Amino acid sequence: MAHPSQLGFQDAASPLMEELLMFHDHALLVVFLISAFVLYIILAMITTNMTDKYILDSQGVEIIWTILPALILILIALPSLRILYLMDEIDSPHLTVKAVGHQWYWSYEYTDYADLAFDSYMIPPQDLTPGQFRLLEADHRMVIPVMTPVRALISAEDVLHSWAVPALGTKMDAVPGRLNQTTFVASRPGVYYGQCSEICGANHSFMPIVVEVAPLEHFEAWSSLMLEDT
Amino acid sequence: MLAAIAKQLKSHPALIPLLFFISGGGAMSFMYLARLGLKNPDVCWDRKNNPEPWNQMAPTDQYKFYSVNIDYSKLKKNGPDF
Repeated sequence: MAHPSQLGFQDAASPLMEELLMFHDHALLVVFLISAFVLYIILAMITTNMTDKYILDSQGVEIIWTILPALILILIALPSLRILYLMDEIDSPHLTVKAVGHQWYWSYEYTDYADLAFDSYMIPPQDLTPGQFRLLEADHRMVIPVMTPVRALISAEDVLHSWAVPALGTKMDAVPGRLNQTTFVASRPGVYYGQCSEICGANHSFMPIVVEVAPLEHFEAWSSLMLEDT
Repeated sequence: MLAAIAKQLKSHPALIPLLFFISGGGAMSFMYLARLGLKNPDVCWDRKNNPEPWNQMAPTDQYKFYSVNIDYSKLKKNGPDF
């Protein structure tokens, strides 16, 4: 999850998020280089002792400042488009989970092999135990096995919601009457937090998403336990 | 009009790369839009002979412009035939 005064992204928990982080580093570096260059030019122009400061025409510098920005933009666009198409690829998911948004909680359904369904409400601040995260913890987590392609089918029961987990690099709108699909692979075990990302009423900020990624045996034990309880 | 452009390019050669990138970008955008209009299975042009192209999609067809990892020619159909 995010930590206090954090400036950058959360550590990646899926290969797609790793790609996004690398692209962000690349694009941000380009931005820093350009900004440093512009700052240098401004300072140089302010502090110069040259007499001929008001040159009105130069074909050479115009050619350079046309070609160079175009090349820089192409350098940014190619990795960006690659990731854009990569995000849409679906590679035979092993597990399908339905996440349905309600006002104001999420419900998860694992119906591949049995009828497992449960609701996930935020734990109110007064019920938190020491060490738990305020406004982020939920009573029931969405547990998935590690290194497993998962298909998440997102929908909503009433108004628009959005299912987002930043560490996994996923966000998909939950639209009533519509089934949206997104796929991801969690590449390391852990607990990853997200929050509803589409305004949905009074408690929009209080319906978090908690994804717990565990080895397959733990996932199987958890799902057997959940099936016994329900 | 082309004569006027050529005259301007001769007196200001810096306009050549500008013309190249702007017209290249415009041509690429137009070609992509044309590709979307003509090859996207969500678009129906012929209501009589091909009314719902989105129902005639084979698993081996690649409809997207670029495929990073998936080789569509190797995919098989998962669902039943209707």
